[in-house]
Amino acid sequence: MNTQLLIQLLVNGLVVGTLYGVVAMSFVLIYKATQVVNFAQGELLLVGAWVCWALMVKYQLPFYLSMPITMAFMFVFGILIQLVFLRPMIGEPIISVIMVTIALSTVLQAAMKWIFGVNPQPFPQIFTSQSVGFLGLQIQTVYVMSLVVSMAMIAAMAWFFQSSKHGLAMRATAFNQQVAQSLGISVKSVFAMSWAISATVSAVAGVVVAVVNGVSSGLSIYGIKVFPAVILGGLDSIGGAVLGGIIIGLLENFAQFIDGEFLHWGNLYEVAPFYVLIIILMIKPYGLFGTRDIERV
Amino acid sequence: MRMKTLLGTAALTLLMSASGALAQSAIRIGHLADYSGGTSDVGTPYGQAVADTFAWINKNGGINGTKVDIETVDYGYQVPRAVAQYKKWTGSNKVAAIMGWGTADTEALTGFVAQDKIPFFSASYAAQLTDPTGAGGKAKAAPYNFFYGPSYSDALRAELTWAAEDWKAKGKSGKPKFVHMGANHPYPNAPKEAGEQLAKELGFDVLPPLVFALSPGDYSAQCLSLKSAGANYAYLGNTAASNISVMKACKTAGVDVQFLSNVWGMDENAAKAAGDAADGVVFPLRTPVAWGASAPGMKIVGEISKISDQSGAAYRPVHYIAGVCSALFMKEALEWAAKNGGVTGENVQKAFYHKANWVPAGMEGVCNPSTWTEKDHRGTMAVDLYRSKVSGATDGDLNDVMKKGTIKLEKVKTVELPRKSEWLGW
Amino acid sequence: MTTSQIPAGDFRTSYAADTTIFPTVTSRNAAILGVLLCACAPFVFNDYWLSLLISIGIYGIAALGLNILLGFTGQISIGHAAFFLFGAFTSAYLSTKLPIPAFFAIPLAGVVTALVGLVFGLPAARLKGLYLAIATLAAQYILLDFFARAEWFSGGSVPASAAPFSIFGYTLQGDHQYFYVVLAYVVISYVLVTNLMRTRDGRALIAVRDHYLSAEMMGINLTKYRTLSFGLAAFFAGIGGALYAHYQLVVSYEGFGIERSILFLAMVIIGGTGSIMGTLMGTAFVVLLPEAMEWLSAALRGGIIDQALGIKNNITFLREIAIGVIIIIFLVFEPDGLAHRWKQIKAYWKLYPFSH
Repeated sequence: MNTQLLIQLLVNGLVVGTLYGVVAMSFVLIYKATQVVNFAQGELLLVGAWVCWALMVKYQLPFYLSMPITMAFMFVFGILIQLVFLRPMIGEPIISVIMVTIALSTVLQAAMKWIFGVNPQPFPQIFTSQSVGFLGLQIQTVYVMSLVVSMAMIAAMAWFFQSSKHGLAMRATAFNQQVAQSLGISVKSVFAMSWAISATVSAVAGVVVAVVNGVSSGLSIYGIKVFPAVILGGLDSIGGAVLGGIIIGLLENFAQFIDGEFLHWGNLYEVAPFYVLIIILMIKPYGLFGTRDIERV
Repeated sequence: MRMKTLLGTAALTLLMSASGALAQSAIRIGHLADYSGGTSDVGTPYGQAVADTFAWINKNGGINGTKVDIETVDYGYQVPRAVAQYKKWTGSNKVAAIMGWGTADTEALTGFVAQDKIPFFSASYAAQLTDPTGAGGKAKAAPYNFFYGPSYSDALRAELTWAAEDWKAKGKSGKPKFVHMGANHPYPNAPKEAGEQLAKELGFDVLPPLVFALSPGDYSAQCLSLKSAGANYAYLGNTAASNISVMKACKTAGVDVQFLSNVWGMDENAAKAAGDAADGVVFPLRTPVAWGASAPGMKIVGEISKISDQSGAAYRPVHYIAGVCSALFMKEALEWAAKNGGVTGENVQKAFYHKANWVPAGMEGVCNPSTWTEKDHRGTMAVDLYRSKVSGATDGDLNDVMKKGTIKLEKVKTVELPRKSEWLGW
Repeated sequence: MTTSQIPAGDFRTSYAADTTIFPTVTSRNAAILGVLLCACAPFVFNDYWLSLLISIGIYGIAALGLNILLGFTGQISIGHAAFFLFGAFTSAYLSTKLPIPAFFAIPLAGVVTALVGLVFGLPAARLKGLYLAIATLAAQYILLDFFARAEWFSGGSVPASAAPFSIFGYTLQGDHQYFYVVLAYVVISYVLVTNLMRTRDGRALIAVRDHYLSAEMMGINLTKYRTLSFGLAAFFAGIGGALYAHYQLVVSYEGFGIERSILFLAMVIIGGTGSIMGTLMGTAFVVLLPEAMEWLSAALRGGIIDQALGIKNNITFLREIAIGVIIIIFLVFEPDGLAHRWKQIKAYWKLYPFSH
């Protein structure tokens, strides 16, 4: 058995899994507060990537400026989307809101192609060395950045939800909208907030995948790709989402190892995680950290 | 239900009154393009070329003096829209031929075009479309499907032929290792069997195929497998967006492999997006030359390009030139049909058989001589292999990058494959 | 949908009256007339309109299956396109590789797809809600992977071909004839599902939809009905797919990714979840909207507005944006779907001139 390769693949799985985790986290942020499955998550990521690309290439801003500007822009953009498209839907059936996010993804996808063109674009080099070595594996520097940033973001989220006023308001809203409202929490602003934070987090992930893959409309696939991670972690657990992402990343890479070294079936990379996922869910039906719905009649 | 019928009737009357106004004398053809869908990165230059060429034809006297009434429709790479559009074209006022686009529309419509006898000239190069009688036994007969350029399988065969020579030329010993990479999907798999079989015949060690999805993603795992297997030549069967991810991941992982790409997997824009990771990739062109090269036929290509770019400054990717050739073959087929019994689907089909080693007038050196026969729709067996050369940062406008020479397309070789009958249709 | 829709004074005194398909004679006659009018369509319409009607019929059947899943068990499916494709491949296989005429291959394909659907419905024993959606996503990936592997079944990289639809040695070809096949299947499917909702199993499904806990307390086996709805959803997807196969005559793998599954979801939600006639309306909406936008953009192309703004090719992006925006606007004004709006229109005329 090729232990060296296995270690490299597992390290890679961990690194990429964290990135999945970040996208999954942005997905959960919206679900937790609004119960909406956001099918436009990938497009939010894409918008973030394009905006940062435009700032760096068209306006020649350095990365340390364009990244915060992108995040600020996405924060506002998240609020705007919520205001324009989703606020009128508050109180309507969740399924209709989900449909709105599907339509929103069509709109954003076409708008991005219109504004930025249909060709994939290279992302300007950000780091002087493109990769760093770790346990014999060359990892893209930007993945290391994503690892650090996501750790920071997870810590920030933990503090936000544990101690800050807005975070508590969001948790209260997630628990019960009516009760939260009667306690004087503005559900509208909580919803706007959750979209804003989610869009910001997506932007970070978007920039990372754009550096690795170049910017192209196909990047939005990450929005759907993390769906298994979200479910595995438990739909409403932020920590669970990150862990779910890491597990999916590890599973993908481990499947590739088994496939490449022994089985040669091809495509286990894409399919095997689903089999494992269903088994895990059969044992833990609410994901690893999801809240068990206790319903009283 | 009733509402729908009513609405339908109303819209139908509108439609009929609109189409009645059109001149009956013009030759009608349809053009399916993808400017907004999943393949828009390569669909835009190709579709633009077809539209420009027919505009240029109309400007220069049309088909024997008759104008071509070409309707360009962006179907967004969505099969239902292609089918609906096709039905619109084949209804009351039938089109003589259709310029199609990719796998999605071509495959969905193969059944219909054979039934309705409408030549469908597309840019989907799957080898099964080259078998008009079904004699190859691998696929169903496709008598009305045409394309210009080598099929996916023939392009890979040519790349492998080159790779075998390259291995010898480099003076390396032992068996070179070949691996097929791509999604588990018909398009990347189309040339798989052909490639692996020829690779074996040429003395390659054929490794188990590696799978990566058609969308961008993290493919470090595949690259590490590639490295650990020690592959020397790897075929990338996907489209540009995911190939870029693989090339970049493999560069990071330090994989030393010669990539051979599918025709849609590499072009100037992909090289620009992948940057130095795309340096050295070998890929097939459908024309002997790329933009900016000198060849007798490039004069006409330049004129055609000015239709949508008056300044004449725009750089046109390789797919544009291929689109021009495709449209000009169609033009001459229409001309022949008009002279020999009128422009109908069947006559246009016959027109494609009227000439061997056919080069559209004035396109010498740009469009490869092509021969279509009733039994063999492999237009050309010549494959022009190019290599991308990337030296430096590629961000910025494509025009500038190409002008500065940061990205160069370097001719490797023109492989003339034998027209083997046992290679027909797969 | 809900009892509040039944106007005052409508007292049903027997079970037969309560479970009737058509509440009034007029509504029954209207439905029959609608079907008859549709049967005249091939004499009136050209191929283009017929192909759109055929598409609405084919996708309408598949969407009906999804509506059973979504509307009656509240299960979002992101794998419906894979079942649709499975039905298409099965029918193509049965009709070309085995001596089974298309007439029998279509229902058989439905049954085989239903069995596959039941397998993917098995996790319903433990999972519910969005967690169960993973089973549908898994179906999408696993089935598509299966098609790529099983060359004997799907033709691999070469599209599978399907035999034309024939009955008693007479082959139905072209849109004008095939339209009747689709129409027959649409009528049968919709009548079947409407009737299903009147049976014991249908009532159980409705009870599960309305409140699964109460349903369980009433002795309804939740797992059984959740799995069953998976099977039913797959059955109709398979029938739709099989009809698609014999219409196109070739079945290609291309274009049946997650996007198509999401499109099916759109048909059901726009039509109205849990509404049978709404499904057909929603399908018509989703099929016709891009076409309508295409007419609009074709009309705009080269016109004054186009020249003034210099849109040119970008009109296609505007068209895509418009499709999304129209769906959003529609949902903002009618979150319960077309079926609900249709009821309101009917109520308005019923109460005219006294409606408020």
